[in-house]
Amino acid sequence: MDFLDLINFYVVPGIVLGSIYAFGAVGITLIFAILRYAHLAHGDLATLGAFIALAVVTSLGFSPLIALPIAIIATAAVAVGIDKVFYDHLRERPKIVTVMASLGIALMVRAVVQVVWGVDTQTYSRGIVRPEDYFGIRIRDRELYTIFAMIVLVGGLQLFLTRSKWGKAMRAMSDNPNLALLSGIDNKKVVMLTWIVAGGLCAASGFFLGYNTELKSMMGWHMLLPMFAAAILGGVGRVEGAVLGGLIVGIAEEMSVLVLPSEYKAAMAFAILLFMLLVRPTGLLKGKVL
Amino acid sequence: MSALLSMDNLTGGYGEADILQDVSMHVDQDEIVVIVGPNGAGKSTAMKSVFGLLTIRGGKMLFDGDDITGWAPNRIVQRGICYVPQVDNIFREMSIHENLEMGGFLKKGDLSAAYDRIYTLFPDLKERRKTMAGSLSGGQRQMVAMGRALMLDPKLLLLDEPTAGLSPKYMEQIFQICRDVRDTGVAILLVEQHAKQALAFADRGYVLAAGKNRHEGTGAELLADREVAEMFLGG
Repeated sequence: MDFLDLINFYVVPGIVLGSIYAFGAVGITLIFAILRYAHLAHGDLATLGAFIALAVVTSLGFSPLIALPIAIIATAAVAVGIDKVFYDHLRERPKIVTVMASLGIALMVRAVVQVVWGVDTQTYSRGIVRPEDYFGIRIRDRELYTIFAMIVLVGGLQLFLTRSKWGKAMRAMSDNPNLALLSGIDNKKVVMLTWIVAGGLCAASGFFLGYNTELKSMMGWHMLLPMFAAAILGGVGRVEGAVLGGLIVGIAEEMSVLVLPSEYKAAMAFAILLFMLLVRPTGLLKGKVL
Repeated sequence: MSALLSMDNLTGGYGEADILQDVSMHVDQDEIVVIVGPNGAGKSTAMKSVFGLLTIRGGKMLFDGDDITGWAPNRIVQRGICYVPQVDNIFREMSIHENLEMGGFLKKGDLSAAYDRIYTLFPDLKERRKTMAGSLSGGQRQMVAMGRALMLDPKLLLLDEPTAGLSPKYMEQIFQICRDVRDTGVAILLVEQHAKQALAFADRGYVLAAGKNRHEGTGAELLADREVAEMFLGG
């Protein structure tokens, strides 16, 4: 196998899968850093986002890429709603209570998806897409869109966090919550912003998984472990770390097929997670220790 | 002239236990008042009570004409009292400038006048405004912490052991900064572990022991007091 084959069959799909994980991992890392718990409903929220986009595509006849922003807004609203109705009441309780509650939310969201859209596999559009050839590197348009959307959305988030007043307030709340409160930063608004960002990115994650493969009611749940592995690999609280972690997990999963039977692909994320927690729990970019 | 802050027979603590018993003190405009006393005397608690961080069960607190007993911290911040905790008093992963920006979070409109004021007070910080606060030395961190608290233009600044863990050189520097801050019209109430040095520099002092007022006077008076010297200052 020559070098171009390695790129075409393993690295490119790895980067695409990694970008999809990165969307989710960024949200997980922000929730970890600002709200300080592991959000187990993240994968199923991604499933919901993917199916909301499907509903827009099938009912209004829009192209999938136009359905994406609508799904992002709708899923962000759902995430804010879930926080207000469920998590907000548990804020003063030990964090493990919220973690368990989020597992319940995961089951609830999945059940809603199954009731509304059924359990069968669905797609945004039918037919086989042939990859384009760029100097020997073969890549499909939808794969380019995925990578491009990841760069634009996460880059935009990074600008928001470093340039805007409320973005800085989110970082302050993650850095030193007591001092943030002493400075008069409104905790409730920061929490709401965090859910808007995390919910929106969830939708993007689910959408691009469905766009590149197919939609299933369990699709998001199966992404939960790799997304957590990516967040911890990059360093909790580090947006750029979550992207790096996502890409590494994605590429590692695709490359694992070279040495392991493909049934073990999903175990790569677990292996990376275990290895990082043992060797460097702060992650590659020195995040928080939890 | 009535005092800027006056605490009258304050009793209270965290949860059920009363750590403070009948504590009274006052801070006038343009003065530095220090609270000293042995470990566990309730020094920091007395200061936190001003900032609404504990349950008050008796007495009252007046600030600048308002009864602020039982107010929530964010309301107290807006009324003109800012607090610098002893530890974790900066945003480590944010730049010096961003730390100040967060300090001025509640301020509407342009912050440039406030930045100018802080950077004039702490010229060292201006040069490093883009530096991450967590990478600074202890003394500089303390300046960032005070700068953050001063962004809202408070009338009273509360400092919880600002010189803890600092070398004597930095201690002197922090004290000098406190005088400079006072000279811009901000009163300071601080808690100090280094009783001798603190009493020598402050305008007035209170000695607390076991949650009660024990002595009060100017720094020089307290330093000269035999009982104070024997009890708290190690002879």
